[in-house]
Formats: sequence, C-alpha cells, structure tokens
Amino acid sequence: MAKTRDKSNPSVPSKKKGKKRTANGPQAVAMKFSKQSKPNPFEAIWSRSKFSIVGRRCKGEERRTGLARSQATEKRKKTLLKEYEESGKSSKFIDRRIGEKDDTLQEFDKAILRLQRERQLKLKRSNKFNLPDDDDDDDAFNQAHSLSAMDDFEDNISLDDEEEAEEYIGLQNGTDSKHIPLHDMNDLSGTLLQDGSENNQKTKKQVMMEIIAKSKYYKAQKAKDKEEDEHLMEKLDEDFRSLAQSEALRSLTQPSKMNALKALLNKDPTGKTSKEEKTTVEKESFKKEQPDAYDKLVKEMLHDIRARPSDRTKTPEEIAQEERERLELLEEERKKRMLATDDSGEGSDCSDDDEIPDMKKRKSLSGDDLGDSFSVYEETTNKKGWVDDIYEREDAAGDQDNDATVEGSDVDEDDQSVNSDEDSTGDEFDGIPSVKDWEQSDDDDLGTNGEAELEETEMNDNDSKDMKVRKTNSLDNQKANAAGKVLSGKQETLPYVIEVPKNLKELCSLLDNRSNAEVVEAINRIRTCNSIRLTAENRWKMQGFYGVLLQYFATLASQKPLNIERINSLVKPLMEMSGETPFYAAICARERLSHMRTRFCTDIKLQDTRSWPSLKTLLLLRLWSLVFPCSDFRHAVMTPAALLMCEYLIRCPIVSGQDIVVGSFLCSMVLNVCKQSQKFCPEALNFLQILLISAVDLKSGLQHIPQVYHSIELKATKPWLRICNQVSDVHSLDFFVVMNMEADSPYFSSDDFRASVLAFVAEILKGFISIYEGLSSFTEIFSPISSLLLQVLQNGNISQLLRNNLEDIAELIKKKTDEHRRLRRPLQMRKQKPQPIKLLNPKFEEDYVKGRDYDPDRERAEMKKMKRRLKSEKKGAMRELRKDNHFLFQVKQKDRMHEEEERTEKYGKAMAFLQEQEHAFKSGQLGKGKGRKRRK
Amino acid sequence: MVRPYAVKGRKHKKRRMEQRDDAVAEEAAERGEEEEEVAAEDQKKVDAVLDELPGIPSMTPVEKSKQPGVIFILEKASLEIGKVGKNFHLLNSDDHGNFLRKQNLNPADYRPDIVHHALLAILDSPLTKAGRLQALYVRTEKGVLFEVKPNVRMPRTIKRFSGLMLQLLQKLSITTTGKHEKLLNVIKNPVTQYLPVNSRIIGLSYSSEKLVELKDYVAAASDDTTLVFVVGAMAHGKISKDYTEDYISVSSYPLSAACCIARICNSLEHKWRIL
Repeated sequence: MAKTRDKSNPSVPSKKKGKKRTANGPQAVAMKFSKQSKPNPFEAIWSRSKFSIVGRRCKGEERRTGLARSQATEKRKKTLLKEYEESGKSSKFIDRRIGEKDDTLQEFDKAILRLQRERQLKLKRSNKFNLPDDDDDDDAFNQAHSLSAMDDFEDNISLDDEEEAEEYIGLQNGTDSKHIPLHDMNDLSGTLLQDGSENNQKTKKQVMMEIIAKSKYYKAQKAKDKEEDEHLMEKLDEDFRSLAQSEALRSLTQPSKMNALKALLNKDPTGKTSKEEKTTVEKESFKKEQPDAYDKLVKEMLHDIRARPSDRTKTPEEIAQEERERLELLEEERKKRMLATDDSGEGSDCSDDDEIPDMKKRKSLSGDDLGDSFSVYEETTNKKGWVDDIYEREDAAGDQDNDATVEGSDVDEDDQSVNSDEDSTGDEFDGIPSVKDWEQSDDDDLGTNGEAELEETEMNDNDSKDMKVRKTNSLDNQKANAAGKVLSGKQETLPYVIEVPKNLKELCSLLDNRSNAEVVEAINRIRTCNSIRLTAENRWKMQGFYGVLLQYFATLASQKPLNIERINSLVKPLMEMSGETPFYAAICARERLSHMRTRFCTDIKLQDTRSWPSLKTLLLLRLWSLVFPCSDFRHAVMTPAALLMCEYLIRCPIVSGQDIVVGSFLCSMVLNVCKQSQKFCPEALNFLQILLISAVDLKSGLQHIPQVYHSIELKATKPWLRICNQVSDVHSLDFFVVMNMEADSPYFSSDDFRASVLAFVAEILKGFISIYEGLSSFTEIFSPISSLLLQVLQNGNISQLLRNNLEDIAELIKKKTDEHRRLRRPLQMRKQKPQPIKLLNPKFEEDYVKGRDYDPDRERAEMKKMKRRLKSEKKGAMRELRKDNHFLFQVKQKDRMHEEEERTEKYGKAMAFLQEQEHAFKSGQLGKGKGRKRRK
Repeated sequence: MVRPYAVKGRKHKKRRMEQRDDAVAEEAAERGEEEEEVAAEDQKKVDAVLDELPGIPSMTPVEKSKQPGVIFILEKASLEIGKVGKNFHLLNSDDHGNFLRKQNLNPADYRPDIVHHALLAILDSPLTKAGRLQALYVRTEKGVLFEVKPNVRMPRTIKRFSGLMLQLLQKLSITTTGKHEKLLNVIKNPVTQYLPVNSRIIGLSYSSEKLVELKDYVAAASDDTTLVFVVGAMAHGKISKDYTEDYISVSSYPLSAACCIARICNSLEHKWRIL
C-alpha cells in the first residue's frame, strides 16, 4: 500500500518519513526523484491481476513491483541514510529560514512570508511599548518608516479617531435614513420617499394638486361601485324571473299566488326600464309609496301551509294495539247498530243522523276520524259502551226481531268489505251460536278472569283425562247446538271482539256450526284482540288458548266423519301461535308425545289391540312436523316425535292393509322430517323393505337373504302386496278415505290397493334415495332394496306404469351404488410420510457491493471498519519499519564490512611491516651491532 | 466467524432465565428422574407389545451413511461477474447484451439461467429431498469451483439467483440466514479431490457415441460405488473428458441440462424406489 502511494505521488512522503524529516530539513531538498541511469532488469517486471473481471478498470492493478521497490530503496537512501550518517555528529547545520523547506514557493513569495513574519513580531503586544529600534525600522519597510516619523502615541490616537469618525459617519447616515420616513409622515402627500427631503420645499400648488387628484380618484371609485351594484341587481332580477317561470317555484306556490307572480313578472320589465333612468329622484319616491308586488307575494307566502313531518314507523306493539282498537271499534259499532235498530227500528244507514243525545259525544268522536287517532278517554268510553252493550243486549236478547238481525248482517257485510279480510263469509250463515252460549261466555268473562293461569297448569297434568271428557262434552255440545240451531233457526254473525275461550267447551261453543273461514276469522280476531304484544297478561291467556286450540284440533281429528278442511284451516293459526309462544307449544307437544308413547307401550303389550297410531296421532305428528323445525340436530319436540314414529314403524306388526297404509304414511312423514337434516332413519327403510318383501312371491327363493328372512319372521307377513291379477292403471291412494274404511274391508285385498301402495312406496323410496345419496354407506343400505325391487319386477302382473317406476328406482340405485363403489378406496396401512431434508435459506444481499458491511448495527459496522483500518495501517507501518530496519542493517553491515576490511587491511599492513621488520632483523639488516651482540 | 446478530440478546435473556429457573429446575430434575424411569418402563412394555403384535412388519431403519448416494458436477457453468456501469452484475445475455458486445464478447455464452434451472432440477427432485444427493459441485467457465450443499433452498427467481451468485463469487462463501453454516462455498480445484474413493464419474454429452438407456445403466451400477454425473450447464459446447471415467449420452436428441438432470434423477428414484 505504502509502495503504491509512493509510486503514484513520489514527491509526497509518507507520514512517518515526514516526521523524521522535520528533524533534518536540509536533506529534503535533495529528495527529488531522479531516475537511475543504469536500468535495473527487475524494474521491468509488471504485476498481473489474479482475476480479470469484465468491464473493470482498476488503477492499482497494473504496477511495476520491481520499480517500486527500487524507488523505495532510493528514498531511504535519501532520508534514512542521511539521518543515520548524521546521527553520530554533534554539530549540525539546521536551516530555519522561512519557506525554505517548501519547494513549491517562489523566491518572491518566500520574501513576502518573511516580511509578514517580521511585522507580526512587531505588532505583538509585548512589543507595543518597546521603543523601536531605529535601525530595524529603517531597513524593514518604507511604510512603517513613514509612520514612525510621528509619535507612537499620536499615531495610535489618530487611528482611533479615524475609526470613531467612521463610526460617527455611519451613525449619522443611519439616523438620517430613520428621520426620512418621519418627515414623510408629517407630509400631507405622503407619497414619495426620495422626495422626503424636498417636501419642505414643496409648493402649495403641488400639495393642492395632490389633494385634487385624490378626491377625483375617490369619486371614480364610488361611481364604479355603484355601477357594479346595479349590474348585480339586474342579474338578480333576471335570475328571479327565470326561476319564477320555471316549474320549481310554480309547484311550490299556490295557483292564486302564481297569478300574482306572473303579474309581478309582467310588471318587472317596466321596472327595469325605470331602473335604467335611475338618476331621477322622483322615481324612488314613487317606489316608496307603492307597496311592492314582490313584498306582497312574500307576505302571502308566509301564510302558506308548511310541509309536515310524516308519522314515524310503528313498532309491532303499536301495530297490535291499533289492530285491537280497530276491531273493538268495529265490534262496538256492530253492537250499536244492533241496539239502534232495536231502539229506533230504523235502518242503519240513517243511524248517523238521528242519534240518542247521550251517544252524541262518542259519535262525534268516532265520526271525525275512523280508527285513525286514539286517546285514552276514547278507549274508556268505548269499553264502557261495550260492557253496557252486552248488558243491554242480554236484556234485549229475548225480543230480537228477524229484521234487525237481517239488517245487522247487511251491515256486517259492509264492514267486512271494509276489512277486506274475508269476502264470502257474510253470505254464509252457518255458524249461529245460541244465546245460551253467549251468556255462558260472557259469564266466564266477567267471573273467572284469573282462571287462565290455573287452567294452564292444570292442562299439563290432566291433559289425557280431560281429553275424553271434553270429547264427550264437545259431542254433547254439538248435539245441543244442533238442537239449538233447529230450535232458534237464527243466524248470528261473529263478534269482532272475542274473549279468549278458557276451555274446550267454550271454544266448541264458539266455533261449532261455523264455516271454516269463519273459524279462521274467529281465531284471528281472538289473537288480534289479545295480542301478546299488548300486555303481559295476554301471554297467559294466549297460552291457554293455544292449549285449547290444540285440543280442538285433536278432537276434530278423532271425529269419525273427518272434517279435513277445518283441520287444514286450523293448521295455519296454530303454526303462527306456536311461533308466538314457542316454549309453551313445545311443552304441550312434549306432553302429548309422552302420552302417546305410554299408550303405545301399553298397546303393544296387549296382543289383541291394534298398536298402530290413530289418525289423531298421525295428524298431530304431522302438525308438529310443520310447526317445529325438522332440521335441528336435537329438538325438544321433533327428536322425540321422530323417534316415536320410527318406533311405530319398527315395533308394530302388520296385521291388516290399513296398517300398511299407516306405515307408509309414517314413512313419508319420516322422509319429510329427515329431508333437511339428512338424518339416517333405518326403521323407515326397513319398513319399506318389508313392504317390498310382501310384494314378492315368497316361493321364489328369498330365504337366502338373511336379513329379509329375519324380518319376515319378525313381522310374520303375508304377501299383502303381491299383485295376483293384471292391473291396468294405478290410482293414487286417498289416505283419509282409506283410514275411514274398516280394517277388514275387501278393498285391502284388491289388486288396485296393492298397486297404489306399491306406487306410493316407490315414491317414498325415491325420496329416501335422494336424501341418502351422499352417505358413504349408500351401497349397503340400498342394494338389498334394489335386489328386492328386481324380484318384485319379476311379477308379470304389474302394470306398465308401475313397472317403469320401479325399474327407474332400481336403475337409480344401481347408478348411485356404482358411483359410490368407484369412489371407495381399499383399506390401507397408515404409514408415515417420509420426512424431507430440512432446507436452509442462504443469506445474501440484494445489491451486494464488495467491501460494504451489511451489519444492521451501524455503530458496530463503523467499529469494525475502524478496526480493519487500524489493522491494515498497523501492518503497513510494521512493514515499513521492517524494511527500514532491513535497510539500516544493510547499511550498517556494509559499514561494518568496510571497517572490517579496513581493519584487516591495517592489520595486514601492520603485519607486513612487522614481518618485514622481523625479516630485516633476522636477516641482519637492522642494527648490526646489536644483533651481533645478541648473537654473541 | 461472527456470531449472528440476533443470537446475542436472546442468549443473554436465556441465561438470565436459566438463573431464575435454576431452583425450580433442580426440584424438577429429581422428579424428572423418577418420571424417566417410569417412562423407560413404559417404553419397554410398548416395545414388548409391538414385538408381539402380528402382522405389523417392524421397519428396520436404514442408516443414512450406508445409503447409496449420487453426486452431480455442473461443468462450464456460465457464471461470470462483470462491472457494468458502476456496479457489479452477474452477466447474462438479456440484460447485458450491449455491454458484452462492446467488450467483444459473445452474449450467447452468458447464460446463468441454465445453471439456475439445472440447480433447481437437482435440488427440487425427490432424490434430494430423500437425502440421496451427497454433494453438488459447480465449476464455472472461468474455472471457479464451488460446492452447493444439498440442503440449500435455491432462490426461485433468476434475479435473486443472480444476486446470490454475485455475492458468492465476490465473497467466496454464502452462509445460512440463521446458523453459521456455509451453504455455498468456493473451493480449490480440482474437483476430483473431493470425490469419494469408490466413485464412478460419468460424463454426459450428446456428442458421445455411447447411447444408453439410463434406467438400465443406473440399475447396472452397484450400490457400493457412488455415481458422479458430470453435466454441462452451458449454452454451446461440450464438457471435457479429462477426468470422466465414462462418457455417455442418454438421448438421441440434444437435451437441456435441466432435462438431462431430471432424467438422471428419475432413473435413480426409480432404482431406489423414491416416490
């Protein structure tokens, strides 16, 4: 490194050398590089780069190592050697002339430097009071000489004075510049800064001119403003006209005002023209006198009706309340009309005009807005009226005319058309509750208000007992009603406000002999009148009513001539009510379910009794499957219900054709329940399988299927469904008709029945297939069924339609089975996946630059860099020192060799001399006498 | 070697934690010994049961060292650094075409992507995942030899690969991100000094007269010898025969390096039943 530096700039020595050289400056002059005259062959050697990198050009790459080495030696000879030579000497010539060491300076510059140095020394404080040497000053510089002509003290003072004077001048200038604006302020014109000084000399004329110019300017400004205002006004007028002509304002204002507006518009142009000649004062005065059309219009508009906020959306509670109110109002009117006809005997059409005075107040209230607004006062009065009405009606019950009722019914018709709930009900006069019933219900209403809760608790306990009793009751009631109907022959309409029936009897009395539509309407009215949302108490009432309604449903289902339509019509309100009181509905259902189950258990133990569920049970199960969600994984009602159905299917023996029908109905219900949740129900499938077995000729060798054989044993089946004769077409099975038939009716042994049951079974099977096609065990579940189906199809008597149906199913099963088979994979040993070798990410930088430290810690990187530098410097220094030593050693050795040589030479000389002497002595050429003497 | 930067602080923390936990640990140790005894007994029982269990073949794990492996050498890889503008780049024909032309070099020769593909083909093969790759050496066109450890996750993109190679060729080694293990390392030539004793060096070239079905060829080789495949990773030319014992071609068509390596890997996987 050091070497390269030497080569690149040989004149600049390294730091260390510089230090040494300071000690003996004179040598530096002789340090200039001079090429050796004798070419050194080693200097011709160039270094070569190890790696050639495309596109890289490096300065230090190509260097002559030999040359550098010889140069370094040369340098040492000039510096180190000199030092070494002088080290032993006591006297030394040190050149301390200024600038002498610096080679770059010219002679002239050196002289300048020296002069400066001289002056600096002079100006030193310590020298200040020294009396100057005249000699020094004389030959030093001319200027100092001229100054020295004066006294020292004077000289200083004068200098200070000068400075002060300068300062003073500056200050003066500053104050001047400060004063100028003040003058300006005082000035009237206040315009020009540079004229400030001249202002005093300004003539009056000038001042006046300025003032005039100013006033003129203001006037012009004013005129301009006025003109702008005018323009603005005109523009506003224009805008207003266009607005008035457009639809927007027209729609907002009344037509009468529109006219005024138009008039205003027509007038406007004239106004505009008048504005054009606005300078006239007369015009303005005229305007003041006349009230402006526009102002008039504005005043009129003030009195216009403002937009009103609309009603807020009502909460369900409020809606219920209003509904109830409406019904109450209707009821009251109905009653009133009834009474009014009683009292006056006139038509209800003119009842509004001639009213009894005490009713007038209420009348006026109701006449204002029908069921629109509501006040507490009104409600109380209404209620009072209602109770009164009842009492009155009770009194007058006896002497009701046919006319009155007929008219009442007419009115009823009208009201219903208003209600738009039901249209046709008014025409039918089926349901006519007897007077007695009404009295009963009223009494109950008045007397046993708090009974509802007790009723509800009782309900659960002695439900089953009540059932029978009520059944008989209802039957009795029916008979009584029938009698009453015959007796009275009167037709009564449904009241609008119906109190909640507390028990089945009341309900029967209310609903019997009414049309289905009326029944629904009655239930709806009860529900609206006693909506749960109205009061908390209504919840108890409605719960009781729900129980009663469920009982009614059950009794209807158990009646022998089945009223299907009525049952159907009951389903909807029952569903809705279950939604309102879900907890209570679930309790009712569970009670009934547990009852069904216990009955079923007792029935199945007795051999003789028929254990299949009754129609009532079936209908209730169906109802619950509609009311409660079937898809829940576990439901308080539906899970036990489904279990019960399955139990029926698996445990009940098939004894008659009716059993088959009931079983298949249960199967379809199970299918319904399982459809959404896709629960697996083996009982239903098993039952279907048994049905299919019963359709197969037993002799054709079914015994080889073990499970079939087992089920045959269990159920002891006869070939119930084996079609013996050719059947041309398949009729669909009417469930209720079949249920009404006797168990041993010949229809059950007919081929028609068999074919239709088979068709039904096929339908259910299809449903199950579609449900369970996702199950992985589909193959196992359905393959026996498909084989059975194929055997059933062997029977030649099956009609073409049914055959196609069954074949389709068999085909479907086969298809799905194949699919599942294809997806199945053989059982495998679970084996561990081999673990791949762990991979490691290499660490590298995006833009790697060699030599840069990628340490995220800057401080540490810096430290490292410094250390590296220190190390390299140290190495360099060590290398240089070593080389120096080597050089010195060589010099010393050379010296020593030289000395040695000299010494040996001297020694040789001395020896030679001595030897010569000796030789001479011995040879006797020196001091003969002596020698002789000695010899002697 | 400098410690990874992240380790230092954690170690301190760990030490402190250890001091704190010392007391707890001592107590736990006593308990632990008992537990260990119990565990050992359990293990014995389990082993006994496993021995008795019929039908479950007990797999004797094959020792890794005894497993036969394979070594790949990529010859004449065109990985060269150039100073383009101010920075150094791994030269490739796409980005530095003009630069190379200016330097009177053929841009078609600078194809680091071939090496990249070949390396990926080797390192991503199930053969490598199964630990059968013993070593992988790459020798560049310029004669720089470096080894690639089989557990390197090579950068997937050519750009990152270029960065990696650039750093490798300048810094001469690449470490892992976490531990200080050298994943790529420039080593001294010749490559033969690193090969195991009983290795069979096979050079692959389309130019070779000896066309073999690689599956049979590999199957014929005994498991005692380590197969060393020398594959050229250059655009044009062929590898030298100087240190190969066998010189074969595996297809009647000229194959790319990656494809050729895939063939070799496939045949070896087939032989050693690596799925």
